Amino acid sequence: MKFKFGKLAAIAILASGLGSAVSAQEYPYRDITTAVVWGAGGGTDSINRMIMAEMEKHLPVSINVINQTGGVAGSNGMVYVQNQPDDGYTLVGLSESNVTAAVQGGWDQKFSFWYPFIVGGSPDLISVPASSPYQTLQELVDAARAAPGTIPAAASGAGSIHHLNLLAIQNGADAEFLFVPYKGSAPGQEAAIAGEVALVVTSLAEQAPLIEGGQLRPLAMLTPESAEIAGISVPSAFDIYDGLDAYLPLKQAIGFAVHASAPDEVKAALTEAFDKAMASDTVAEWAAANNYDIGGQSGAEASALFANLESTFAYTLQELGATTVDPMSLGIEKP
Amino acid sequence: MDMLVTQLAGFWDALLALVADPLTYIYLISSVFLGIIFGALPGLTATLAVTILTGFFGNKIPLDYALIALLGAYVGAIYGGSYPSILLNIPGTAASAATAMDGYPLARAGRGGEALGLTTTASFIGTLIGTLALLVFVWLLLLISKNIASPEKALLALFGILLSGTLMSEDLVIKGWIAGLIGLAMAMVGLDPLLSEPRYTFGWSYLLSGFQVVPVLMGAFAVPQIIDGLRHMEVGEVLKLQGRILPNLGTIRRYLPTITRSGVIGTGVGALPGVGEDVAGWVSYGVGKSVSPDGAQFGKGSLDGLLSSETANNACIGGALIPLLVLGIPGSPPAAALMGAFKINNVIPGPTIDPAIILRVAAIMVLASLTMFILGLFTARVFIRILRIPQTVFLPVVMVLTTIGSFSVGGGINDLYLMLGVGFVAYLMNLMKYPMAPLVIGVILGGLFDETFRRSLLISNGDLLVFATRPGAAILLSLNVALILSQFPFIQRGFARLKGKFT
Repeated sequence: MKFKFGKLAAIAILASGLGSAVSAQEYPYRDITTAVVWGAGGGTDSINRMIMAEMEKHLPVSINVINQTGGVAGSNGMVYVQNQPDDGYTLVGLSESNVTAAVQGGWDQKFSFWYPFIVGGSPDLISVPASSPYQTLQELVDAARAAPGTIPAAASGAGSIHHLNLLAIQNGADAEFLFVPYKGSAPGQEAAIAGEVALVVTSLAEQAPLIEGGQLRPLAMLTPESAEIAGISVPSAFDIYDGLDAYLPLKQAIGFAVHASAPDEVKAALTEAFDKAMASDTVAEWAAANNYDIGGQSGAEASALFANLESTFAYTLQELGATTVDPMSLGIEKP
Repeated sequence: MDMLVTQLAGFWDALLALVADPLTYIYLISSVFLGIIFGALPGLTATLAVTILTGFFGNKIPLDYALIALLGAYVGAIYGGSYPSILLNIPGTAASAATAMDGYPLARAGRGGEALGLTTTASFIGTLIGTLALLVFVWLLLLISKNIASPEKALLALFGILLSGTLMSEDLVIKGWIAGLIGLAMAMVGLDPLLSEPRYTFGWSYLLSGFQVVPVLMGAFAVPQIIDGLRHMEVGEVLKLQGRILPNLGTIRRYLPTITRSGVIGTGVGALPGVGEDVAGWVSYGVGKSVSPDGAQFGKGSLDGLLSSETANNACIGGALIPLLVLGIPGSPPAAALMGAFKINNVIPGPTIDPAIILRVAAIMVLASLTMFILGLFTARVFIRILRIPQTVFLPVVMVLTTIGSFSVGGGINDLYLMLGVGFVAYLMNLMKYPMAPLVIGVILGGLFDETFRRSLLISNGDLLVFATRPGAAILLSLNVALILSQFPFIQRGFARLKGKFT
């Protein structure tokens, strides 16, 4: 039975492919594949599935989303797409965390290899367990200043966006925590609830269910804007410490990319579909429901954002001694 | 009490949602059917069934449906193993080894139909007992697990590896531990979880993401099984099935105490980390032999003995899912494959797992056992026909499936080299009677152990006392120490002497 279904599906795909091939040879005339470099069900994966479904409506073909995970900072998936022809039929679904792949030895390209599109990201915030004695960011920072390097702070692995946010608040507020790395945001948040660490820095999208459940208490947003979650208003750390704007905001940038070497009409066609998709209600509703901020940048603007993230990440990692390749040798400029 | 009610209500909703979805039936019936076939064919095991399906379905279809397929195959395969045990005297899976003790004599005495009918019923009730325990204990454990921090996790992971090594070993316990430690060492390969520095990668970027679970599972469980199956052709004579299969209610009622006892034992054994259905079957068989008034007849064709092992191995499934869902520590080798499926779907089993997943798992278990019950009672003769398929036909097919499954997870061609490499090493280790389950548990829990052990020391500033001062950690530490010490000859002698003094 299964083989029969497979055959039917194959015939259907062939038929639809041929159908559009007849109409024109203009891009896109066959189905597009997007290889997401992170696992199914994660933030980058769900954003890509959402935006691709929306973009499909404005393109004559369908877009298949697959996952190519593994490697360093998603290098497996990036190498996979790199090895595909640069005709715009294979896109890569990625996020800001991929900018470290080169300096960590995962592949040998600067991020400018890609022509990126940014759908959005969720802002980071600093939270404490519900049973914590710290009611405000000031109390926490004062305690850290009194005993530097002893208050354990959870964030995902060294060099992740959340770790960089933690470093930024340390620099900006002149306090030093004991950084305790976790594999991903969820384990770090679990550890905070279990009382293993005193604070956790992850994104609002990841913390929202725990804040609503009363298990975490949000202290401050690490963005210039304050926020309202589950009836709690969370102040911006920028209003508390003046020097922060030198280091922050460092925000997630989740989206997809095509080879920078792809033809201009491919980029134009993708940009048009992307812009239409981003303007849709579906995207707005999705972002609101999942606590994401909408980006919508593409082309030069998105490239500049990623270049900034790349250099910040690369040199921070180098300071931490977590790079295997000198960013200078790749041509990455100091921030 | 309130929680139990909401729990049951949630379970009921999950069950209704499943029943209302027509896709459920397609996945359920085909996967249970496939599972029974895997279980019934000697040489193919439940672990293999779940592993191969993880490769195929793990990240291709939504996790909700993948779970139906995987759990259906799991339940079916554990049950399916009873066919060849009863009719061929060859256990279809290790889990049914104890079933053959009494099943085959019964079939020879012309009571094969009765035996099959009763094992089907017992497997069904056993699965339900395990599922009920899952539903209740997961919630109790979830309450406690909110306080489980790195030191406890590290000790629990170590306990899982050691316990699996202790119980899964055929001859010397130390062999199980060695296999577990090899797994632990394999888990060290890749990017360091705390420092983000590459370890043992020899500059090869593929190794930076570490050894992937699915290829290792395939290599450790499937490849040696296939080589071994092709080397030793077991051609047994399939006994003719006599008697009606549908059991009568009276007999079931008479054996209900045995079924209940075995179900509870099976669930308990299942809940121990890394210990599988085969141990559950034997333990329950052993307990049955000493408790049952029918004990002297065990091994000569006792229905009591048959039901002891066959209920327990199915009840073990629900038990094995408890530590998997709550702590991310698989309770049996097939549960380790399930863990792989969760991982490739980015669901991290643990205290913050979505409660809806647990309810869905319980609902799937109930439906899967019901499907198994119906298929078992009404299509038993189809499965018996399958027993006649020669191994030379199906083992190569399974090898191809294994390869495709391993490749399709998405790591590229290197995953296949890894699978084959692990497979040949595993085969050699099998020849020397090193168990494979502890190795796989080591690979899965090794990363957790490494990360949590070192993180505990990072937070405690290098003070080892952190593993003894927290109450939970202290209990787990003493369990670990007791497990290791119990294997030293002089301690064993000391215990024997103490026992002699007091009895």
